[in-house]
Amino acid sequence: MTTFELRNAEPPSGSTPADGSARTKVMRRHRRFDFLPYVLVTPLTLFIVGLALIPATFTVVQSFYRVQPLDPPNRFTGLNNFRRLFNDNAIHSSIGNTALYVLIGVTLSTVLGIAMAVTLQHKFAGRSILIAVLILPWALPGVVEGIVWSGIWDSNTGALNSLLTSLHFIDHYQVFLGQHRILTIAAIELVQVWQITPLSALLVLAALQNIPGDLYEAAYIDGCSPWSVFRRITLPLARPGIAIAMVQAVIATLNIFDQPYVLNGAAPTAASLTMQTYFISFQNLDFGEGYALSLLITVVTLAVSLGVVKLVYRPVEF
Amino acid sequence: MISLHKNLKGAALVAGIASLSLIVTSCSGGGGSSATSAEAKTSGATITVALFMDPPPKASLAAFTKSTGITVNWTNIDWDSLQTKIAAAATAKTYFADATDVDWSRVGQLAKLDWFYPMENYLDTKSLATDMPQLPSFTSNGHVIAVPFDTSFLVTTVNKQLFAKAGITTMPTTIADYTKDLKQIKAKGVSVYPLNIPFAAAEGLSTYWYQTTAAFGGTILNGAGKPQFTTSNSPGYKAAQWMVDAIKNGLVPPGNINVADSLGQQTLMAKGVVASTFADYSGNVGSLYDVPASSTVVNQVEYLATPGVNGPGINMSNPDGIGIPRQAKNPAAAAKFIEWFTSARSQADFAGVSGPDKVMSGYFLPSRLTGIAELTNKGTLIGGAQLSGMLKNSAKPVFPEGAPAWYPEFSRAVYTNLHSAATGSMSVANAIKAIAVTANKLSSGS
Repeated sequence: MTTFELRNAEPPSGSTPADGSARTKVMRRHRRFDFLPYVLVTPLTLFIVGLALIPATFTVVQSFYRVQPLDPPNRFTGLNNFRRLFNDNAIHSSIGNTALYVLIGVTLSTVLGIAMAVTLQHKFAGRSILIAVLILPWALPGVVEGIVWSGIWDSNTGALNSLLTSLHFIDHYQVFLGQHRILTIAAIELVQVWQITPLSALLVLAALQNIPGDLYEAAYIDGCSPWSVFRRITLPLARPGIAIAMVQAVIATLNIFDQPYVLNGAAPTAASLTMQTYFISFQNLDFGEGYALSLLITVVTLAVSLGVVKLVYRPVEF
Repeated sequence: MISLHKNLKGAALVAGIASLSLIVTSCSGGGGSSATSAEAKTSGATITVALFMDPPPKASLAAFTKSTGITVNWTNIDWDSLQTKIAAAATAKTYFADATDVDWSRVGQLAKLDWFYPMENYLDTKSLATDMPQLPSFTSNGHVIAVPFDTSFLVTTVNKQLFAKAGITTMPTTIADYTKDLKQIKAKGVSVYPLNIPFAAAEGLSTYWYQTTAAFGGTILNGAGKPQFTTSNSPGYKAAQWMVDAIKNGLVPPGNINVADSLGQQTLMAKGVVASTFADYSGNVGSLYDVPASSTVVNQVEYLATPGVNGPGINMSNPDGIGIPRQAKNPAAAAKFIEWFTSARSQADFAGVSGPDKVMSGYFLPSRLTGIAELTNKGTLIGGAQLSGMLKNSAKPVFPEGAPAWYPEFSRAVYTNLHSAATGSMSVANAIKAIAVTANKLSSGS
């Protein structure tokens, strides 16, 4: 019996209480509240509140304070931190760099992710091995990938230069990183795309697996070409998965740090906004400004993600 | 009803305690600096030492433990991450190590923030000073906040074989002769790119500029932190122009735009790609260029008295020190370790005097004059006499009054703008102007 049923239950027939004890028992049962789910969830809730929500609230509050160990005490400064950020040329440059990272990264990882997912949609020999190999870049930390790729992009001794000169495509070694802004950002973002595309592929693949096979059968019977099937059935029905993949790509690219830091150092050519947060907080020791920039990055990430969901996500029913 | 209510309350209480214990455990930390009874106890203590290098040989650490009763847990963290860790731990008043790195460039900042114990509380720093010429680099307002554990200063290295191939029989002593010789090496086809400058936007570019400025006869900042390089005929301006012109005129490999001072720069020299590094690191000849496993130019590279304006110039010091963070759990034990780690005997052993079993990987040059003398006398330090002479006579701190507290932000302005000038995205004049604006802003406290 549920609590509601108990609440409305009539006392058992033939048991009219002379002293009301049976009714009292029913009323006690009516008041039972199931604590167990709340007890079980409490530790995790406290963990999340303690390690995520409280620090996030602290960040928001402190972003309106001057927090500099070299200039104590901490004091309220209103929007001063934000004002200084908007007047900082290094921040302006990083905004442009980060926008390019997002544009290149989200576009490439989504397109490649969809292509990989469509390829893996149907069973074939070696499919599971291929999935395992494709997922490998996702398992590697960004710093490790940066170090690996620095050996490929290196302008003096890199593998790519060596390959291109031995194939006579170029007659002398080229500078891929640091000289030209767009080329540098593209080269760095390729490394991150290599890392995040496997996750995009898996998310889209999961969506594709839900599409009933008889839709494809019907389409082929009706004479649809593979491209037409892809455009009219696969893509629309995979939109929920594609939207999630794009959101995770937006989050990853907007917060890029490891790859540009390892591959290009602190050079303004390709420094991202998250790198600026690091420099401001841990080199300048200006934590108030660092909090403010972190807050701005979070707000922008949220806004762009919501925009992507609005544009791409559609509910799908089979 | 009463028993049911009690049971529910009990379950909630247990869950609450379990949650709180999780949070307390995850938040716990911080040895605090005021445990006076703990400070006095050293024997039986366990300390954590965090540096950016591998530990001394196990036998050496075991011998230290046996003689003092102090157990050492060593953590190897790369330099950049270590600086972040030091700042994060100190700001959060959290313990992470009992002894850790103090870079010469951070002395001003760390001293102002009072993040490290004054070493004169634990060691006889006055008598150390006579044997450690670089100790003043770790002194701020009369307090010694760290003890240098190696001798690092910037030196010029040349591949004498490549110089000889180009017909250069007398080594240059002035910047003008040095530049002329490099152009001759290039013109004769001996080395396509004879000069090594690490133009990656990293600290090594800043220190290279400081060394070049000193060679041009100048300084970077005055005692008040004001820039000394703003006019086009100032040494610092000329040094920046010289460096940028070198890559524009093909004396420096174009790929050096992304080469940092550590692995990248040294590899180019060790593989004979370049003929000279104007601001190289002391000890590299014996520890890297003359080691067959890592070099193809064995016995070809030697130290050169750094060319200056009218003759040999100054060498800039950039030593590493070890100090005790305020959050250390056992500062007294840490001090004992530092005393042992920086002792003349230990330093000589680490550098190879007592054989390979006691060598500490990556340790090249003792911070003590007596240590360098011992290595030179035993013939185990290549170029030892020359290095010893430089250390005594020409090695000077970059900032005689000590690195300012705002040094990290200033250095970032230096290396990002010089890097941009080298890529051609800004002129040297604009780069110098941007650096000067940052120095003026920081020195005026805004």
